[in-house]
Amino acid sequence: MKIAIQVMTPPYSYQDMDSAIKIAEAALNKGHEVAIFLFADAVNAANSRVKPIRIDRNIPKKLEELIKEKGLRVDICGLCMEYRGLTEEAIIEGARPSGLPELAKLIAESDRFLSFPA
Amino acid sequence: MALILIKYGPDHPAEGVKLSSAREGDCAVLVQNGVYWAACDALKDAKCPVYAIKDDFLARGYEEEQLDIELIDYDALVELIERNEGFLG
Amino acid sequence: MSKKVLFVVYQSPVGSIWVNEAFRTAFGMYGEDVEPSILLMSEGVVALARECKPEKLGLLSVKMVQRYVKRYGTPVYAVGEDLDTYGVRDVDEGFSAQIIRKDELPELFRQHDYVIFM
Repeated sequence: MKIAIQVMTPPYSYQDMDSAIKIAEAALNKGHEVAIFLFADAVNAANSRVKPIRIDRNIPKKLEELIKEKGLRVDICGLCMEYRGLTEEAIIEGARPSGLPELAKLIAESDRFLSFPA
Repeated sequence: MALILIKYGPDHPAEGVKLSSAREGDCAVLVQNGVYWAACDALKDAKCPVYAIKDDFLARGYEEEQLDIELIDYDALVELIERNEGFLG
Repeated sequence: MSKKVLFVVYQSPVGSIWVNEAFRTAFGMYGEDVEPSILLMSEGVVALARECKPEKLGLLSVKMVQRYVKRYGTPVYAVGEDLDTYGVRDVDEGFSAQIIRKDELPELFRQHDYVIFM
């Protein structure tokens, strides 16, 4: 089954990214194809330059692990990236800058779609 | 059949609307601060089963036995996602 | 079969970006087999006020979406009770919004595969 999850709020300020990652990981472990679409301030979840304190979780790193080890797809709204000064060089390996056409495709082609309200 | 995802508590303008539109065959899941609904009488009127993410519930200081709501983990949430084609959240 | 998606905005059109983002996202759906609609509720209905102009504060205008609403024929709904609550008397017809009652919302939700609160 193809499952897409949209996140709109900034990581570290809110829990949405954490919830999305836990759902994605559980779904990937069950053999589903999972895509996370980062929208608005959520794009910072793919910023490899974020530097949380040692006792806190590293969200971009966790996303990168899921991409590499379990095949998670991470799409990032390109216009949202530009607005926030997030460059392609700064994003985690395996995540892809995309846009609303890709979100539309995810909505059209996924079997399930979830989102977290802002 | 729709999965209804509730992430804010009872004071939020949107979540009550979502819960009150639930129908038989749907299921609602309380995530994050949505678990605050668990302490709310309004939840008893929901027309569908309501679950809460166990980790989110316990992390906010509630005890498992304290409230009458079924607590689930993320594997169970994925099963609910599999079973429900529609989404309201 | 095309998927019907309702984007719901409950936050103010001035001081938050979600009215703009909901319309932008909706318009982005037309390249795929997705039928988008917009619902304005709670503070979101203020977007319909003729004199609602975020640009007075240097923020992004909400009126710019009107020509696309017209071009694409995107259905726009607003909750009548909320228009009363927030004192919106002079409704800008440029959004071609259909005013619905709160008790009609469950039925509106049922008409869509995905209801995405933003």
